[in-house]
Amino acid sequence: MLIQQLVNGLTLGAVYTLLALSFSLVMGILGILNLAIAELFMIGGYLGFTLITAGFPLPVAVLGGMLGAAVIAIAIEKIGYQPLRDAPLVTPMLSTLGFSIILQNVATNIWGSDPAQLPDEYFGKQYSLGPVNIGEMQLIVLVATVVLVALVAYIVQKTPMGRALRAVAENREVARILGVSADRLTMLAFILSGSLAGVAGVLIALHYGTITPYLGVEIGLKAIAVMVIGGTRQIWGALVAGPLIGIAEVLTVAYGGSQVRDFVVYGFMILILLLRPQGLLGGARSDQGQRV
Amino acid sequence: MSRIKSNLPRVLGTVAAVTLSAMVGGQAWAQEIAIGAVVPSSGPFAEWGRSNTVTLKMLEQQTNDAGGINGAKLKITILDDAAKPAQAASSLRKLAGDEKVLAVAGPLTSSAAEVTFPVANEMKVVSTSQASSKPGVAKLNRPWAFRNTIDEGVLAKTTVPFYKKAFNIKTVAVIFDAKDATASTVGKVIMPAVLKANDIIVANENDLLSFNTGDLDVSAQVTKLKALNPDGVVVSADYSQAITVLREMKRQGLIKPVVGATQLISSAILKAAPEIPVIAPATFYATMTGPAPEKFTATLTPLLRKESGLPKDIEPSMYDANIYEIVSMYIDAIKKTGVTGKPADLEADRTKIRDHLAKLEGFAGLGGPIGFNDDGDAIKAFYVLQGQNGAWDTKVKGCSSAPGHPAC
Repeated sequence: MLIQQLVNGLTLGAVYTLLALSFSLVMGILGILNLAIAELFMIGGYLGFTLITAGFPLPVAVLGGMLGAAVIAIAIEKIGYQPLRDAPLVTPMLSTLGFSIILQNVATNIWGSDPAQLPDEYFGKQYSLGPVNIGEMQLIVLVATVVLVALVAYIVQKTPMGRALRAVAENREVARILGVSADRLTMLAFILSGSLAGVAGVLIALHYGTITPYLGVEIGLKAIAVMVIGGTRQIWGALVAGPLIGIAEVLTVAYGGSQVRDFVVYGFMILILLLRPQGLLGGARSDQGQRV
Repeated sequence: MSRIKSNLPRVLGTVAAVTLSAMVGGQAWAQEIAIGAVVPSSGPFAEWGRSNTVTLKMLEQQTNDAGGINGAKLKITILDDAAKPAQAASSLRKLAGDEKVLAVAGPLTSSAAEVTFPVANEMKVVSTSQASSKPGVAKLNRPWAFRNTIDEGVLAKTTVPFYKKAFNIKTVAVIFDAKDATASTVGKVIMPAVLKANDIIVANENDLLSFNTGDLDVSAQVTKLKALNPDGVVVSADYSQAITVLREMKRQGLIKPVVGATQLISSAILKAAPEIPVIAPATFYATMTGPAPEKFTATLTPLLRKESGLPKDIEPSMYDANIYEIVSMYIDAIKKTGVTGKPADLEADRTKIRDHLAKLEGFAGLGGPIGFNDDGDAIKAFYVLQGQNGAWDTKVKGCSSAPGHPAC
């Protein structure tokens, strides 16, 4: 049972990792917490779900979820962030909270509050390795998480766009003097973050085979905890903290009960904030929100 | 004597004129009868609230097309509580205080009812829940709280023996939604007690498994259920949450018969894992036979599909039937007890409705006669259903009262 629980924990951790990475892309560069990311994850999931059940193959569903979430991310940046970027940090965060609630209501109106369920024929194959059960989608989620984290790390670390993003995150004034367009990069951060949330939404919705408009609420909060634990400025932090929290959560449920699960996850987050505010993989400097 | 006889037509004419004048000119009846409803049109139970809304609008139109109530138009004001207890309580306060409604249908959940019923008592207005089934919720809030539902403890006593016999159940494992008031009570208290009374061993008696409303991942719990290797599984949760458990059971290959409470009754749950039999009680379901339920379903279904904005295959639920019956009982009370609907009579009118419900027996509900017991819960027939391969099928008929009651 322990090995099965570890597999369960790794899958759950992969969900947290993808979403935490999505949060940290905006948080690390702009210093704001985009609370609508959890709903971009949900909308991406619904779009992928809709495409799959309409008969499209998985890559098209993933692309659809990614594009849909990216488009909404652009709208959030244009309407909810850009006009407020000179306001105190809490203002754009509240604006994204507003978007989050609106998106939940939009999803409820379009898809209903009943859980949407993937038809059996799309459920995917299940493989049994001795006592351990692992699904096809579960494998895809695990592999995709590693690939996506590596891809984002490559973009941020190795490409000119990534260097510009890091420059803005480090010091927007210097970056501006050096000819970096802060506006363009802000938009890029939102698009990257939204796309990632959309892809994560599709994969997770297909893995669990069910989705509701409230999918992002619980998972979004856990992903924020994972981002904090891993380090808000560390892309690899999410890859370490996600599985750590996923496994810790699953083992807590299995051996301690679901009532203490949240205590363990958020207790750990508080502990990290107190003892190592830069996160597990963060440097010596604690994060300071910076504005573009 | 002869003078009286000769003047009789004039006397009668005068009496008739005075009466007519009092009724028309003096407004013995209000022009409008105001009823309130509290349903969750947004939030996690929006599906039920939205179909409840269409049901109430249908009833309003049916009533007014048939001439209204004693000539007055029925107006149902519906407020959304988003299934949040505090919002439900403030909605009831607004309906009773600002809208001056004669009675309120709702709220839907036990969590909302627990907070709203005390406000109903304070405001002295009848509030009748269409779905709350946690034991004792109306009993704690007499005399104004009612529920057109049956206590889950009563239902389990008929459901479990059928489940045991049908699937030769000797052991079960229990999983419940710890954040849902009804699900928690059924999972932690009612089911273990009833299972024990029926000589069924609860494999995780000292370690009942739980999850929280909204959890997407229940893989850890299902892995643990599987390791217990029970003959069956108790899933105590609202159907929308139970779907997550059933999907995961299917994914992990745990194909065992499931038993639960009224919360499981939904057409949606039958799609989660069609090969897993689901046993649960209900007082109404869309494929129920009989003139009244068939007419109700035939009339409401196209309206739901056209107006609710819900999935195209939406069907009337037990809670649609319950709220339809609740407002129908209010209308019955208004007609039979001389409720005027006039502002000056508001307090007296509300009391008349309350007293009528408290004494009600044999009201023609969709699934059979309805009355209320001293605890404010409905006395009505119920059915133990088996859901499998996409359809519910009646297996056992029961009644929430001792045999011999008109509802049985």
